[in-house]
Amino acid sequence: MVPIPQRMPARAQSHHSAAQQATPKGRNAAPSPISFVDIAKPAGINFHLTCGDPEKRYIMESMCGGVAVLDYDNDGWMDIFLVDGSTLADVQGGKCHTGKLYHNNHDGTFTDVTAKSGLSHCGWGFGVAVGDYDNDGWEDLYVTYLDGAVLYHNNHDGTFTDVTAKAGVGNLGRWGTSAAFGDYDNDGYLDLYVANYVDLDLQHLPEFGQGPFCQYRQIPVSCGPRGLKGGRDRLYHNNGDGTFTDVTEKLNIDPNSYYGLGVLWLDYDLDGCPDLYVANDSTPSMLYHGDCKGGFTEVGVNAGVAYSADGREQAGMGVDSSDYDNDGWPDIAKTNFSDDSNNLFHNDHNGEFTDMAGPADFGPVSIPFLGFGVKFLDIDNDGWKDLFVANGHVNPQVDQYAFGVTYAERPLLFRNFGKGKFEEVGLKAGSALARRYVARGAAAADFFNDGRENLLVSVLDEPPLLLRNQSRKQGHWLRIKTVGKRSNRDGFGARVEVKAGGLTQIEEVRANAGFESASDPRLHFGLGSANLVDSIVVHWPSGAIDRVGQQRTDQQLVIEEGKGVVTPQLMAPRTGSLPPN
Amino acid sequence: MQRPRPSQHRPVSSVLPGLGATSQLLLCLTLVVFAQSQSENPRVTALIREGQSAIDAGDFSHAVQDFEDARQLAPENADINRGLVLSYLQAGRLADAQKIADFAVGRWPRDARLQHWLGLVYFKEGQPQNALQVLQRSESLNPDGSDIHFDIALVYLSVNQYPLAADELERAIKTNPNAALPHVLLGRAYQNTNRTIKAIEQFRAALRLDASIPLGHYHLGFALASLGRNQEAIAEYQKEILRAPDNPSVLYQLGHCELATGEWKSAVTYLRNATQLDPKNADADYDLGKALLLDGDAKGAVIALRQAAALKPESPDPHYQLARALEKTGDKEQSQDEFQIFADLKKAQPATGGMATGPIQ
Repeated sequence: MVPIPQRMPARAQSHHSAAQQATPKGRNAAPSPISFVDIAKPAGINFHLTCGDPEKRYIMESMCGGVAVLDYDNDGWMDIFLVDGSTLADVQGGKCHTGKLYHNNHDGTFTDVTAKSGLSHCGWGFGVAVGDYDNDGWEDLYVTYLDGAVLYHNNHDGTFTDVTAKAGVGNLGRWGTSAAFGDYDNDGYLDLYVANYVDLDLQHLPEFGQGPFCQYRQIPVSCGPRGLKGGRDRLYHNNGDGTFTDVTEKLNIDPNSYYGLGVLWLDYDLDGCPDLYVANDSTPSMLYHGDCKGGFTEVGVNAGVAYSADGREQAGMGVDSSDYDNDGWPDIAKTNFSDDSNNLFHNDHNGEFTDMAGPADFGPVSIPFLGFGVKFLDIDNDGWKDLFVANGHVNPQVDQYAFGVTYAERPLLFRNFGKGKFEEVGLKAGSALARRYVARGAAAADFFNDGRENLLVSVLDEPPLLLRNQSRKQGHWLRIKTVGKRSNRDGFGARVEVKAGGLTQIEEVRANAGFESASDPRLHFGLGSANLVDSIVVHWPSGAIDRVGQQRTDQQLVIEEGKGVVTPQLMAPRTGSLPPN
Repeated sequence: MQRPRPSQHRPVSSVLPGLGATSQLLLCLTLVVFAQSQSENPRVTALIREGQSAIDAGDFSHAVQDFEDARQLAPENADINRGLVLSYLQAGRLADAQKIADFAVGRWPRDARLQHWLGLVYFKEGQPQNALQVLQRSESLNPDGSDIHFDIALVYLSVNQYPLAADELERAIKTNPNAALPHVLLGRAYQNTNRTIKAIEQFRAALRLDASIPLGHYHLGFALASLGRNQEAIAEYQKEILRAPDNPSVLYQLGHCELATGEWKSAVTYLRNATQLDPKNADADYDLGKALLLDGDAKGAVIALRQAAALKPESPDPHYQLARALEKTGDKEQSQDEFQIFADLKKAQPATGGMATGPIQ
């Protein structure tokens, strides 16, 4: 049996029991070592995501759900920002919807600090990006809306100031979804990519079910994105003085105005220059190869990541990257629409990728599911990156038919067994993962600084899930926070190599990935049974390299560019520190 | 490559036993009625019996002759006219069958069986609308006739009217729940309207009634695969292969599933067999090329993919794979050419409807 901590909240405990009862007889004789419990409510997360009306008659009513994990007050604990949407009636009636900021109380609970934070913009929000754009050592926030975006500067005192106009990153009149900070020209300042979805006029919305692009399996549904005009993504170059320059046209970004949804900065060819992958809906996804001179070449088709393995457009939603097979090269996971497989693009080390979703047992199980948020994380600290996928259809109307597809869908949790194989273990990981949600954004974080990666998931028209990892048999771990000096302060884009127990792992520092969301920017390495880290190498975006010798496991290291480890922080596991009922 | 997507099943005639065989089965059942018919003229009675025996033996020419001879003696005999319609129908002499059927239906307008057979004549003549009209008249005369519901469903399936076919098959099953074939066809109608879960139930029901029904495991496998349940699908395809080892469609789908699960060598074996048995199956060549490429045989992949492209020149997919395979062989120039062909063919394709990659209905 999975041990139930003494202070298990009543809600979680009852769900846990239900999950045990729901386990198919004979399928799983031994209890699963993987377990997640939803503690959102007892942890004090009282947020409710508003996103249109329940019928979802218009496309924007299905696409909300950005979540962000950030340490906004630099106290060493990850806080939470949740983006709210709105409704047509509220937009027309002037009712304000703002995101909510929750401060981590270090005891398993959070406090809503929105009121004093200054994060007060009213609008129909979608995505959120986190990054220290001015290198002052404090994380800033960028939130996308139906008609623009807002950049909040962190004032270092728990408050933020809207600096959008001054910074010039308003994305005015555009419906932004995911956004991501990354330093594409390695000048030490984070630039900003904003995926734009559809050019939508709220005064002239396409009529529900009317026309060829408003049908799904012959039933009337909300229209789009096909048939609607796409919004051209924007790339803003950071000028280093608090302002940005829109370089979209100059760098020929998204010339066809595809329906942008997922954004990921990564260095897929390990040449030290950030590349960019953009998951587009119903149109080819784009892979921009950085030329190390501040320019890009779009190589998605040749690299094998623009289309499905059969050369077909997919409905790309969320995207994340990690080295799932520990071969030293970053791979890419992408979620797609139902009736299609999610992708697991294996990096072939030659600028090309091969979709291994089928052989890895990641893709086929996903076919009836409509995936949004996707996140690599090591749920059991065994050194092999597992995968979480947040699912939920966009058309509630599907529930009226026996399509084998439902509106609310359970999330998928894939355990990596090495050798390129995953097993979907969601139904064996506690009742919270066995239930169905219309989930969207997903972020991973060690919220409790206990060496376990947890999950934060947004749910349309419902409260979010804060899934605490209570899995047994956790391996050792190491967490690394990077501090850039010549490089951007966050160290985004730094490639960190950790050797321990005969295994070499690489990870790239980033916050923004998945769908409209930002995760814990601190790198988390599961180390299995290794109780010593043999070596750490950090390849900084500036080109500098820091090498660190043997280190103890089960701790957080802060590695500063040019200095190496500056503040090792021992973190005692806190397995029983769940919030009170 | 336009391989069938989960919800786009092939027409009924392409993978099921032929419609002729199905109709023949139903028509033969009706001969029992004739065996009981009587005539005052012993010669006429003898000719009717000989005609029935000839139909039973599959000797339709002989049957035609017997019933024609009988009709000379008794042109107003309903049994003789029925027998003649049947004989011409089974002999493939559709014009003659229609001529007699038209006369007989005019003479005995409330005879459900004659209306039914006239409908089958129209169907075989490629006139589905006329067939439906007459079959529905037959249905109104005999609402409990499961074979009429079944044949109406066949007509609907032939014109891709899956929801209507499903309605008729549900009625056929209600009146005769123990026939396996209607369950298979109902499953297919459900599958083609994306009601996959219900389709699986029907395929399983058919297999419970008749574990060896042709293509029962095949269709079940297809439905399971469309939900991503590839291992279960493979198990079903393998059962079908035991029953019909040389069916290229089954071999193709089995190879396709093996490819999807990363069993490339096994996929290559099945797909190669499928291409040999059905050299015009572009989908099999395409999948064979993909499997070979993933298995590290880029040169072999190029050969198979060129074949796929030749068989389906309008499809961009083989060119996409071909470009990738050529890149692996080091032929960058041809690879770029293929990428260009892929892009050009893509542009020429009509915009697909609906959300994302959802199938076009």
